[in-house]
Amino acid sequence: MIFVTVGMHTKGFDRLLKEMDKIAGNLGEEVVMQIGHTSFRPQNAKWFDFTTEGGIKEWCKKARVVVTQPAMSILDAQEQGTPVIVVPRLKKYDEVINDHQLDFARELERADKVTAVYDVDKLEEALKKTDSSRVKLVKDKRLVNALKKYIELIESR
Amino acid sequence: MKICLVCSHGGHLSEILHLKEAFEGHETFFVTYDSVRTRQLEHRYLLRNIGTNPLLMASATLSILRILLKERPRLIVSTGSEIAIPAFYLAKLFRIKTIFIESWTRVDRPTGTGKIVYPVSDVFLVQWEQMLSKYGKKARYEGAIL
Repeated sequence: MIFVTVGMHTKGFDRLLKEMDKIAGNLGEEVVMQIGHTSFRPQNAKWFDFTTEGGIKEWCKKARVVVTQPAMSILDAQEQGTPVIVVPRLKKYDEVINDHQLDFARELERADKVTAVYDVDKLEEALKKTDSSRVKLVKDKRLVNALKKYIELIESR
Repeated sequence: MKICLVCSHGGHLSEILHLKEAFEGHETFFVTYDSVRTRQLEHRYLLRNIGTNPLLMASATLSILRILLKERPRLIVSTGSEIAIPAFYLAKLFRIKTIFIESWTRVDRPTGTGKIVYPVSDVFLVQWEQMLSKYGKKARYEGAIL
């Protein structure tokens, strides 16, 4: 199963969902989509607009691969051990206010943390090629530790 | 110590949840937007999504004012987005300390919220070294979520 999630963004992500719906028609694999505020309604996939924290995690866990925007949803997937393909929202299609997702996708790709697809025409090929073996998420503790230090400092004043 | 966690209801909330270990041993409550997801949080105040609507910003400011007067937190921590703006400026007024964490998804383009709350934040953290030069001397890089 492929799970597609586009989060809470107030703008839709029609470009990704339309392509995934087309792919769902060709693939012999179930596709489930969390469409958020997207107006397009998939024909070949099961879909819903929003769900709970647990709901998202459950879909991520069941999926062979998760397709999403380069945002926090990648951690929801990777925490469940599921590999991720990211497709950045782009300003030129009015999917987002600027191209920060493009920068972020490039950094994640450089660090070999995700597969990045910049052109939805390449998505079907990427889905076929993606290694569906489970991934292991290693979190960086430095930020948590720094926060603890600042909180202690504030408390002691 | 009582800590108020302020964030919008999507990825910004995910960021705070990934950092929750930092708040262990403290009393926390959320101020966030109403959604099926946030209704499941414990100790939370749910507001309407402000977005870019000035009237909703004004009404959220009044709600946050009431919440801060009732709860009296010593510290406000936020990962964004715009809901942090009224919270941080009210915090300045009430001498509540503040920590802002710029989003992990922003490599070197500051968020609008980050730019607005930077002057009033006591601690201002960014999650990419490349971002440091986009803010002033106060900004610190202390690692990232991943």
